Amino acid sequence: MNSYQRVMNTLSGQPVDRLPVFAVLGAYGGKLTGTDLRTLFSDASAYVAGQKALQKEFGFDLVLTPFDYSSIAEAFGGEVAWSADQVPNMKRPAVRKAADALLLPLPDLRSAGRLPMILEATRQLAGLYKEQVPIIAVLPGPGILPALLVGIDQWMETVLFDPELAQRLLDYTAPFLVSWANAMLTAGADCLAVTEGMATASIAPRDMFAQQFLPHLRDTFSQIHGPKVLNSTGGCMNQVLDLLPGLDGLVGVMVGSKDDLAESRLLVGPDLTLIGNLDNLTLPAISAGKVYEMSMERLRTAAPSGRFILANAGADMPQATPSENLRAMLAAGAAYSAEGGGRS
Amino acid sequence: MDTNYWSEQLFKAMVEADRSGAAEIITQALAVGIGPHQVIAGILDPAIVRLGRLWEDESMSLAQNFVASKIAEDALIRCVPCTKERQHTKGAVVIGNIEDDFHSLGRRTVGLFLSAAGWDVHDLGNDVPAEQFVEKAIEVNASVIGVSAMMQTTALNIRKLRDLIDAQGLKSKIKLAVGGAVFNWRPDLVVEVGGDGTAHNAVGADDLFLRLRAETVRAVTA
Repeated sequence: MNSYQRVMNTLSGQPVDRLPVFAVLGAYGGKLTGTDLRTLFSDASAYVAGQKALQKEFGFDLVLTPFDYSSIAEAFGGEVAWSADQVPNMKRPAVRKAADALLLPLPDLRSAGRLPMILEATRQLAGLYKEQVPIIAVLPGPGILPALLVGIDQWMETVLFDPELAQRLLDYTAPFLVSWANAMLTAGADCLAVTEGMATASIAPRDMFAQQFLPHLRDTFSQIHGPKVLNSTGGCMNQVLDLLPGLDGLVGVMVGSKDDLAESRLLVGPDLTLIGNLDNLTLPAISAGKVYEMSMERLRTAAPSGRFILANAGADMPQATPSENLRAMLAAGAAYSAEGGGRS
Repeated sequence: MDTNYWSEQLFKAMVEADRSGAAEIITQALAVGIGPHQVIAGILDPAIVRLGRLWEDESMSLAQNFVASKIAEDALIRCVPCTKERQHTKGAVVIGNIEDDFHSLGRRTVGLFLSAAGWDVHDLGNDVPAEQFVEKAIEVNASVIGVSAMMQTTALNIRKLRDLIDAQGLKSKIKLAVGGAVFNWRPDLVVEVGGDGTAHNAVGADDLFLRLRAETVRAVTA
């Protein structure tokens, strides 16, 4: 059974040879290939070389398209901040006022900024790994996307104090998101990981998510023609999990590192895959033994009910994460499966 | 005039993210004769402290915190013009996001709460080099620099600021407050980057800055 079969079987509740293990690694590929991050996140071949190196070094059960939302900010006209040791960030949004964002043209996926590079990287990954290792494409959710056009401060202010304008901006940006998601699926992505910041208790109360963002998530998902996993880049999600079953094409949820996995399972029901939930920020700083111990604790809590993938919870893992810590995650997954757990 | 009742009402409005309701409470409090300074000290401050406890319990979202900071800002704008006779602020402080960090929301909220609490806040914005923090702190005679970072990679850049403060012999005159999401998840980073203290949220910034300012006073008089 290869990684693709293992993950697809997990998502559909079918038997697997061992429990799949994910790690969200993009910049780490540059560390392995000796590529600076500006090149890694600007050159499709360099990025794919990083994913190949990660597969060779660790063999996690996925390859990832670039987890770099500054490319979307840039495509709308924003400025990018490049860093030597972290994924590029948005330095300046395209506009400062939400009303002005309604005047921004929606980016052309074939030519705007680095969007073509991401599609090309997806195509190259598909050429290398199709039906061998699942190709996971990462994109922002509809509720947090406007923050990439106007900045998070302005977006929060709009959501809270001008909800009508916020709804107009959500409506305006949704077609871009749908096109972008479907383009990545066409380029070869097997599944989309949608990071919806508004789905975490750290950002928005449950009622706000339910009333202002869930309808947009539902509408957007219905227009994206492929399987999706929802995550919140590490923040707690249990407060909204019971609202998610039934979203079109939703196959899994990547919960936050502080979410109780047993509670997550009760809330999300039996048919969605739970993915998680080791803390991104802790992983670089603790011993491999501790990573192993934490991984086993997650596995013993969540794997017995099926449809579980061990993973970190959140965004791109820091380059400073020791390789032995990553291997400890894999070792825990293998050990748990060897004990007879996680095979169905 | 008993301010407890009004503070309770304001607290409820903050929790419910009711900005207009909060503005009405401030209006009414001023109308019944509570002085502007007492509105801040007796109504706004206690409400903010209670909000801080909710945040500690992880019962508040960033959205609620953001609204609360706006309410505090509203109240400040309403009351400060009336308190121009106020002779003393708590002093100057400099805040900003460290070099390579662009996550400004938390810093801006801290700035609003510090202003509401009576500090003279100099906000340098995002991606601020260590040298700029120190130059500004010397220029405005700040006792505390508050530096924010959201991620571990950028938090480590704070070490440059620590080293610069120490190298210039300012350790006893300027204290370094650090904050941001990563410090809540990894409290050990405060020491690792050379911070003199942290607060878990914007509401707690006033107490932290007061404590650090007191440490500079003690160091100078020792």
